[in-house]
Amino acid sequence: MAPRIQTRVSNALLPLPHFLHILILILLNSLIMLFTIPFPPILGYGRSPDQASPTNGAAYKHHIPGETNYLKDARDMDLTDTTRPFPNNRNFISESVLSEDLRNEVYVRVVEKKKSLRAVSVELGIDMKRIAAVVRLVELERRQKSQGKPMALPYARAVHEMIPVTPLAEQGERPTFHEPINDLPVHPSTGSQIFYPVPESRSFTRVDAGRVFSGAPAMENERKEKISHPSDLAEEVMQNPGSIEWVGKGANARQVLQPADVRIPHPQLVQLERDRMAHPNERRVVADLHAQRLKRQEEAEKKRRERAQERREKSVKHVEPVGGRFDYRIQDAVFTKETVGVDGRAPWAPGRRYGVPTNDRTRGTVKIPTRVEA
Amino acid sequence: MVVRIRLARFGNKHSPFFNIVVAQARSARGSKPLEVIGTYNPIPKLPTNLYDENAKARPYKEIALDRARAKYWLGVGAQPSDPVWKLMSMAGLVEEKPTTYHKA
Repeated sequence: MAPRIQTRVSNALLPLPHFLHILILILLNSLIMLFTIPFPPILGYGRSPDQASPTNGAAYKHHIPGETNYLKDARDMDLTDTTRPFPNNRNFISESVLSEDLRNEVYVRVVEKKKSLRAVSVELGIDMKRIAAVVRLVELERRQKSQGKPMALPYARAVHEMIPVTPLAEQGERPTFHEPINDLPVHPSTGSQIFYPVPESRSFTRVDAGRVFSGAPAMENERKEKISHPSDLAEEVMQNPGSIEWVGKGANARQVLQPADVRIPHPQLVQLERDRMAHPNERRVVADLHAQRLKRQEEAEKKRRERAQERREKSVKHVEPVGGRFDYRIQDAVFTKETVGVDGRAPWAPGRRYGVPTNDRTRGTVKIPTRVEA
Repeated sequence: MVVRIRLARFGNKHSPFFNIVVAQARSARGSKPLEVIGTYNPIPKLPTNLYDENAKARPYKEIALDRARAKYWLGVGAQPSDPVWKLMSMAGLVEEKPTTYHKA
């Protein structure tokens, strides 16, 4: 059993496991010295005894930044390779993380300069989801700081030394892109191979391919003629997401698969590239067009979010009883054949079911929350 | 026979959850009701996304209710039980029941 530690030391210095290891090491050392057995020399370990302080373990407490204070004469190990924080484990390759400066810059641009996530993501080459997460976490950190809670700064510093870090670009420097930002996950309905004969005289674009994959009838010619490039649809969909058609009935209803130009995280970049091709030597014009488009899209998105929020709030009545300990939120629900199924037992229906096993303990059931409410 | 609007308990031990149901008064609590018109989760939840300005928000309990069906059943004479009466009075469907005690 590990010795019980009675002394209370601030955990601001190191996270608990390390702190425990060091204490145990020191306790062991003192035990060994008590029985007058000399500290056994370990081959391959750094500091010579004259460098070490009387308690030996103290030599390992601080290290020279950028290198370890043990594992000094290992010849076949590449200690400079930061993608491998554990040089002996060749299979452990670390992805890079955001540097402190970069993550603070993300927060400043989004919260203080009020730029959109989309714009910041393109500027810094960071995925939009990561931008959102960084903003949340920095917010949390600032709140904890203001509450005077301790930060595990030495731990953070040590981890940042061990693994590759994406730095913040200096003024006038080209930014290092942290990760690809416009990746498109494979849509499951594109997994099947479909043999779909098309006459040569007919134009067949990504828009049509999407309709074939989702089993929708071909688009009318009138509408089709208005689309000069699949990316034209991106703005329309962003302005009005309800404009995407539906096919199928009941449980089989699904939206028509949109072309990749619409589904990628940053569809405006395709349009920017097309503008560049259309106006090859007019950078100002291209930049203006892009700025206008971004502004338009942001406004549309903001309006849409507000409308959705309004709708959500309208369906919930907040009741705050006087003298009670709790508030009540009364949500409007509709218990009809459509919402609860013919027999009232549809799995998506609100409330609990009669005569249907709950299956809440079957293997693979996710019980923890899977998303954060915005 | 009287038709009542009452709560039917679901959920496991120590984690109650109620369906608000319309049922014959003499039928068992767990039997299949005439209709389910809502749910009531008596376990209070803390609001998420607490920022400094609303950090002292009170915990809340969730009710889901089909108002149209509730009004219909009240209209044809279904009688809410006391707990359901309390919930429905908060939703503004029935008058609050007079209390026999006075709050200090």
